[in-house]
Amino acid sequence: MWERKPVLLIVLATVAILIGTIITMVLPFAWVNTEADRIESVTPYTALQQEGRDIYIREGCNNCHTQTVRPLVPEVLRYGDYSKSGEFVYDRPFLWGSKRTGPDLARLGGKYPDAWHYKHMESPRSMVPKTNMPAYGWITKNQLDPQMIQRKMDVLGFPYTTDEIKALGDKNEMDAMVAYLQKLGSDIPWRAAATTEIVGELINPFTGVDHDTMEPWEDLYKENCAACHGDHMEGVIGPKLVGADYYDEILFQIIYTGIADGGMPSFSNLGTDKVWKLVNFIRYYGQGEGH
Amino acid sequence: MDLASIVYLGVTFGMFVIFALIVIRTYSRKRKDEGEIAKYQMLDDD
Amino acid sequence: MENQPYNQAIVRSFVNWSIVWGLVAVLVGVIVSLQMVEPDLNFPPYFTFGRLRPVHTNAGIYGWGVGMIFATFLYMVQRLCKVPLWSDKLAKFQLWFFNATIIASAVTLLLGYTTSKEYHEMEWPIDVMVVILWVVFSINIIMTILKRKDEQMYISLWYMLAAIIAVAILYIVNAAAVPVSLFKSYSAYAGTNDANVQWWFGHNAVAMVLTAPFLAMFYYFLPKSTGVPIYSHRMSIIAFWSLIFMYLWTGAHHLLWTPVPDWIQTLAMGFSIMLIAPSWGSVFNGYLSMNGQWHQMRENYLVKFLILGITFYGLQTLQGPMQAIRSFSAFIHYTDWVPAHIHMGTMGWVSMIAFASIYYLVPRIYGRELYSIPLANLHFWLILVGQLIWSISLWIAGVLQAGMWNAMNPDGSLTYTFMETMVEMYPYWWARSFGGMIYMTGLIVFIYNLWMTAKKGGSIAAQTTVETTTVEGRA
Repeated sequence: MWERKPVLLIVLATVAILIGTIITMVLPFAWVNTEADRIESVTPYTALQQEGRDIYIREGCNNCHTQTVRPLVPEVLRYGDYSKSGEFVYDRPFLWGSKRTGPDLARLGGKYPDAWHYKHMESPRSMVPKTNMPAYGWITKNQLDPQMIQRKMDVLGFPYTTDEIKALGDKNEMDAMVAYLQKLGSDIPWRAAATTEIVGELINPFTGVDHDTMEPWEDLYKENCAACHGDHMEGVIGPKLVGADYYDEILFQIIYTGIADGGMPSFSNLGTDKVWKLVNFIRYYGQGEGH
Repeated sequence: MDLASIVYLGVTFGMFVIFALIVIRTYSRKRKDEGEIAKYQMLDDD
Repeated sequence: MENQPYNQAIVRSFVNWSIVWGLVAVLVGVIVSLQMVEPDLNFPPYFTFGRLRPVHTNAGIYGWGVGMIFATFLYMVQRLCKVPLWSDKLAKFQLWFFNATIIASAVTLLLGYTTSKEYHEMEWPIDVMVVILWVVFSINIIMTILKRKDEQMYISLWYMLAAIIAVAILYIVNAAAVPVSLFKSYSAYAGTNDANVQWWFGHNAVAMVLTAPFLAMFYYFLPKSTGVPIYSHRMSIIAFWSLIFMYLWTGAHHLLWTPVPDWIQTLAMGFSIMLIAPSWGSVFNGYLSMNGQWHQMRENYLVKFLILGITFYGLQTLQGPMQAIRSFSAFIHYTDWVPAHIHMGTMGWVSMIAFASIYYLVPRIYGRELYSIPLANLHFWLILVGQLIWSISLWIAGVLQAGMWNAMNPDGSLTYTFMETMVEMYPYWWARSFGGMIYMTGLIVFIYNLWMTAKKGGSIAAQTTVETTTVEGRA
């Protein structure tokens, strides 16, 4: 039998291999990415976004960043709504990744303003002091090739206009990258739905604490706020906070829930305690008590 | 039971039967010597 | 060796080139590990982490791993079938085409031509090269087997045939893409389907490149080194059918908790656990073969490599299924635990077996006795310690990071920001680099030993003495 007949052994081994293959790899094509899977608000990439995606692939960003949020509590709290199959129907290839040396990017779109990304890509450590993200400022020097991008769009069958292609001539690779990052995960309106509703009365637990108590809270500010609002609250990407006169509760709400699509990320993952400390720190030093 | 369940159970059972047949055939008493020939033969050459 | 009908020269060339690519893989591995702790070591555009990491993985899998598969299969097939190679010319072509493919892969990856699919990053022209290479190799192996006398095939030949067929299917299906230009293509599959196809490929590349062929080597070189047959050929056959049948169901355990349909994930989880049985079938077969022969662990350095190798295989195939369980995956996936797992397999299991195979082949392909057995022992300890430091530090790092990612305050908020968890990784990443450097030192000792063997190892008086000495590696 097959112990003596290599051809028969090859045939039988192939059958053994194909059973699992057909059931778990071929059959799913009948259900995945079908009409039932589609989400109406999910749109193909624009020419600029698609080019950004190809640069993301070229630079191997997927080696350190995943693009899929799992339906687990800490994960949804950290990154946002969990990923749905229908959100990826235009992804060729998929970019879910397998390792989070850096954070997941599936819900990055709209979290920060464009300016944040330009600055962060140019000089990651000026924004996030201890990160090991390599600097990508050099891609700014590379102009886009509209003809090539048009060809890509044709192959992918994505819609575009000639004006859109023409406009690419003035753009560089960084513009494309940022456009792509801003698209990530923003096709479904999850951010508005996920905004934390604060119920009940907000009471500042640190009312009237003195200067010395507040001093160490500066580290919290440096880590979370300084990149956008400046080391001395003078405002950089975000508005200046010096002289900004908010009520404690309003400021808490802004920091805690963020401003959806306004460029201000939510900091609810810091916890209420740290957010209150930030509120008091900003209120105290922002009112001219500077140091 | 719907069709899907019957197919599922049928495929699973079928695979177990095939596995059992391979084990029975490999370990059948009359094939005992034959089944172990190769491991001695491979030491011959070299 | 001129009076030998067997083609040894081609085996020697493949061994030599595999070692070259193995050294490249380890060296690049050390470099990318340093880039993770010191971002200023990224030199754009060509030498950034994102472009170098695929060079590391592909040099390791295809340069070192597949190179050694070519070397040992071409050796084993002649011996096991007791006939010379079907075509020496084809084998020669295979050697140079193999090197051309590896070089083309490295160059294009550094240039940024990548599909992004893990362990399949090379763009479509290189895929074409890989397919040609594999077809040429397959024809030679299969035709040689068909030439043999009609007798029972040894288990190594079974694994060789299965691996040859499976790799062909896996690689071609996952390579399907629509080209845009010479160095850019888009996957034929989109989104969730693409993910499912990719990890069907990815996990079975582990099965059919890094497992089945190395089991073929283990089953061949263990009895050849000890001089006693394996414990049970029939058990190896049951393990064979179970292994090649079950592996193909398990790809989706890389995609637990993702949008891939739940039932695929569940099947992958179940089959991953079931895979412990055939995996440990081979482990037990190895251990039980050593019954009454354990003293060889002390006396025969080859046996040390082989038994430690199969031990790491056993550990790997217990840890793997554990990671394939949903709840454990939820905790550990995406952390540094995972590279630690992979490197136990590649540095422990795969490389230990490959090194043992080379040491066994040395007198046969160089025509000389190994230059220094003490150096071979030093090599053994350096790669063992290096690998353990590597893996253990990242297992700890992975658990630590997973714990911090999941930590929550009493008010339901997260305790740590992402950066707070990442900075905790730095000491462990340094330890990993250190482990990698020790491993690389071991590899350099090995290469030095082989170099000296080729230059001035004790010559073998007559080929016939080798042929009658079955316990060749005994020290």
